[in-house]
Amino acid sequence: MKTKKFIPYFLVAPYIFHFLLFVAFPVVFSIVLTFHEWNIISPMKYIGLANYTRLFQDKFFSQSLVNTIIFLVIHIPLQIIIALFLAEVLNQKIKFRGFFRAAFFLPVIVSGVVVTILWQQLYGFDTGLFNKILTAIGLGRIGWLVDPSWAMPSIAIMATWKNVGLYIILFLVGLQTVPVHYYEAADLEGATHWQKFFKITLPMINPTIFMVVVLSTIGGFSLFIEPYVMTGGGPLNSTLSAVLYIYKQGFFYYHMGYSATLGLFFALLILSVVAIQKKFIEKDK
Amino acid sequence: MKKILFYILLIAGALIFLYPFIWMITASITPENQIGNLTFIPNKLTLNSYTQMLGKIPIGRAFINSIIVSSAVTFGVLVFGSMVGYALSRLEFKGRNLIFYIIIFTMTLPFQITLIPQYIIMVKFGWVDTYWALIVPYLMNALGIIMFRQYFKSIPQDLIDAARLDGCGEIKIIFKILWPNSIPALITIGIITFMASWNEVLWPLIVIRDSQLMTMPQLVTLFAVGGAAESQLGVKLAAATMLALPIVLAYLFFQQYFIQSMAATGLKE
Amino acid sequence: MRKQFLVIISSVLIILLLISCGSKSQRKSNQLLYWSSNNTQEIDFAGYIVNEWNKHNNSGKVSFQPVPEGQSSEEIILAAVVGKTTPDVYSNMWQGDVEDYARAGVLVALDTLKGFKDFLYNRCDSSVINEVTSPDGHIYQIPWKINPIMLLYNKRIVSALGFKEPPANYDEFNHASEKYKEENIDSHGYVKKWFGYSEVLVTWWQRFFDFYPLYLAASNGAPLVKNYKAAFDNKYAVEVFSFLRNLYEHNYFAKERLSARQDVFLSGIIATRFTGSWEILHTEKFKPEGFEYGFTHIPVPDDHQGPVFTYGDPKNVVIFKTCSNPQLAWDFIHFMIDKKNDLKLSELTNQLPRRKGLIKDSAFAEYFEKNPKMIEFAKQSEYVRGTDPYPNLTEVFDIISQEYEECVIYGKKSPEEAIHEAAKQVNLLYIK
Repeated sequence: MKTKKFIPYFLVAPYIFHFLLFVAFPVVFSIVLTFHEWNIISPMKYIGLANYTRLFQDKFFSQSLVNTIIFLVIHIPLQIIIALFLAEVLNQKIKFRGFFRAAFFLPVIVSGVVVTILWQQLYGFDTGLFNKILTAIGLGRIGWLVDPSWAMPSIAIMATWKNVGLYIILFLVGLQTVPVHYYEAADLEGATHWQKFFKITLPMINPTIFMVVVLSTIGGFSLFIEPYVMTGGGPLNSTLSAVLYIYKQGFFYYHMGYSATLGLFFALLILSVVAIQKKFIEKDK
Repeated sequence: MKKILFYILLIAGALIFLYPFIWMITASITPENQIGNLTFIPNKLTLNSYTQMLGKIPIGRAFINSIIVSSAVTFGVLVFGSMVGYALSRLEFKGRNLIFYIIIFTMTLPFQITLIPQYIIMVKFGWVDTYWALIVPYLMNALGIIMFRQYFKSIPQDLIDAARLDGCGEIKIIFKILWPNSIPALITIGIITFMASWNEVLWPLIVIRDSQLMTMPQLVTLFAVGGAAESQLGVKLAAATMLALPIVLAYLFFQQYFIQSMAATGLKE
Repeated sequence: MRKQFLVIISSVLIILLLISCGSKSQRKSNQLLYWSSNNTQEIDFAGYIVNEWNKHNNSGKVSFQPVPEGQSSEEIILAAVVGKTTPDVYSNMWQGDVEDYARAGVLVALDTLKGFKDFLYNRCDSSVINEVTSPDGHIYQIPWKINPIMLLYNKRIVSALGFKEPPANYDEFNHASEKYKEENIDSHGYVKKWFGYSEVLVTWWQRFFDFYPLYLAASNGAPLVKNYKAAFDNKYAVEVFSFLRNLYEHNYFAKERLSARQDVFLSGIIATRFTGSWEILHTEKFKPEGFEYGFTHIPVPDDHQGPVFTYGDPKNVVIFKTCSNPQLAWDFIHFMIDKKNDLKLSELTNQLPRRKGLIKDSAFAEYFEKNPKMIEFAKQSEYVRGTDPYPNLTEVFDIISQEYEECVIYGKKSPEEAIHEAAKQVNLLYIK
């Protein structure tokens, strides 16, 4: 049958069409848009490189980069340490492993909005649980969400709590790929627990660690709903994330051209950072 | 002795992850003025927060919207994903490799760059404030295609050949032969897609303004951020509980599949 | 093969059917559609007006609905403009948005309609007309109603502090605040009650209830933006920032979000508030026994001369270009804002029409007799400002709010630095 030759094309046609419409065209249009000023309701206006010059003088933009770095610097190590630790624990022969695994994983599947609303209460200055505990043990209260030095770290801690379950699972899978006889051989040589960990476990799960780092980084650059709900980007713009700023420029002020410029820049930034991480982490260990 | 200590710590650890949710549920049924003092069990119980919330926001409608959107998206991803996955894994044709690389490329592309233009496309098509805007951009999922391709590669060729001899067309092969033999893949991809679609907030915030069409997380977000809750904490928590409930229930029943799906995502990266 | 096709086609059709349930329905073209705000009293008023019009007019029927619910009515209007689903007439348009829409070409130039100019000069005085005229010379909005921001005060507390009149300038206000604080500080040094309160939100519109009215009062109604440049880099803005910053520094105003509790004005936790006449309905309904309150003008700098201006939160009526019969739309609006119906507006919603000479107008005399609290507002209505006719005002207020947060609330900058920086940013905004 002659039609048989065309079947594959018929099968992939919807995808190609979708790709052109929702990926290819947007990327091209995005680049075009960066050279224009547009607020949707008026015609587009060509402004050359004005958006780019603005971007490099924009203090909110640089602030959002700083904020993202603060977030990642706290979130990634915390994530890896806790997830790896708990994965090691779960990897032992323990009763009710399923229950514990399910408990750790619960925050992962719940909507970020729910987690944010909850932690907003936990972080409350007068009525929040954390400050109640602090005052109960005699320490002073912390302005988790109202102190500009604490706000972003607070969000980083919350993000760790939310996602660690996923990374525990990933580490578990990674840990289980380490051949048991490696450990047995090390035991024969009288290796301590720590030696086994650093010399066998870590190198073997290096790909998993890399994956966790990359996923966390992409997550950090995509931070939106948490600052949007919890702090609106404040106090003093300490929690203004990249995406929140793009959203504000595009959908509060309707500067579509500038918003697209921000988006393009951040996208390129993410790709570069991930590429650098790949070089560093994969080669290093 | 050491073991008991170990388990106590482990339970404490689990509590850290569970307690906030327990608090949320109990606080949503506590009278407003007692929420500040609540730690574990409330003195009085009341459904006041829930009745207030139901009167303020169309949460039932939002729930239905989310169901419609997430189901449609999941259905689309499964159907189209398996179509493309099959073509890439079992059929020979020119451009096969090119398409594969395009799919990989879309997976690495950060969404920040396509966000604004996609909104503008929605405006031009007149899809703002319609289900179209929520569903169509998500009908194809690169990860889903890759996973299907991977899985279909492992299906024995004899099954397919036998079906062809019987006169089956390619479409029939996908749905009558491949699908029944790919239940794990279908469940995995289905769960990932449904969950991601359900929890998506940024895109609905951009393309939907009419509160009758908002998705559940979007509605609860705006409720928490805006003034409609009139700073009544219990009401906000009631809304959050309602939002969490469907996924948590699904999770309790399909726990195994959820966790396996997530693990599978990691492996494919 | 065919069967599979049928299954796929039918599933696609079902999906399409579901999707189409979410799309908008078309509007009939032989009717006028009028969107009112979704405030309950205004819905009542709109219902009354539309009924009366349809009863006595055969030139065209009007149907109305409250603006659809969304995060904010401004967003809904924008979505409608973008989706080309705008009504014919909209009466809740914030004055600051009009210029953006006018430039986009979606509003009808009202001065081209018959009878408009005469009516406008009859209803409003020249300063108001200047305010609503766009830089291109056309008028795209009809001033409808205002809600002047004034100082609400608790009569009992103020007199108990030893004041015969409520504080009129910064010095008196600070004085009263200090006294009230002294009486309400506990043994640990925690202040339990404050003389006044304003939300410490950085949201752009919050400035309508603190900075902007104070600035207009201090500067006798000076503009924020003029000739596409910041016009507020002056001593008035600095004095306002200074005054407010002082209030927070000395804890005369609370830094915590008091709005989380029950009404703090009615319970005496705060003695004053910057607010509008909408407060009256609420206060009358919930005030405790023996509670006495009044309104006076916003405080001004000690060396202030002349009348005290304020922000009027004006809402105006517009006709969208999607309207097939703008003249008919104008006739309807004319009916809605003639003197008789302006009076009805006040009676039903307790808001004042933006009409000149209200205080001396005999038609309103009875209304003011029955609602004495509104007299202060009517007096104030002669000295009210809206917003300047320039685009991107949301961003201007946002810029000011950023500096407000840094200087007034966190004390990290001096008022001079903050105002200067805000002006600089606004100028950058308009260069592009």
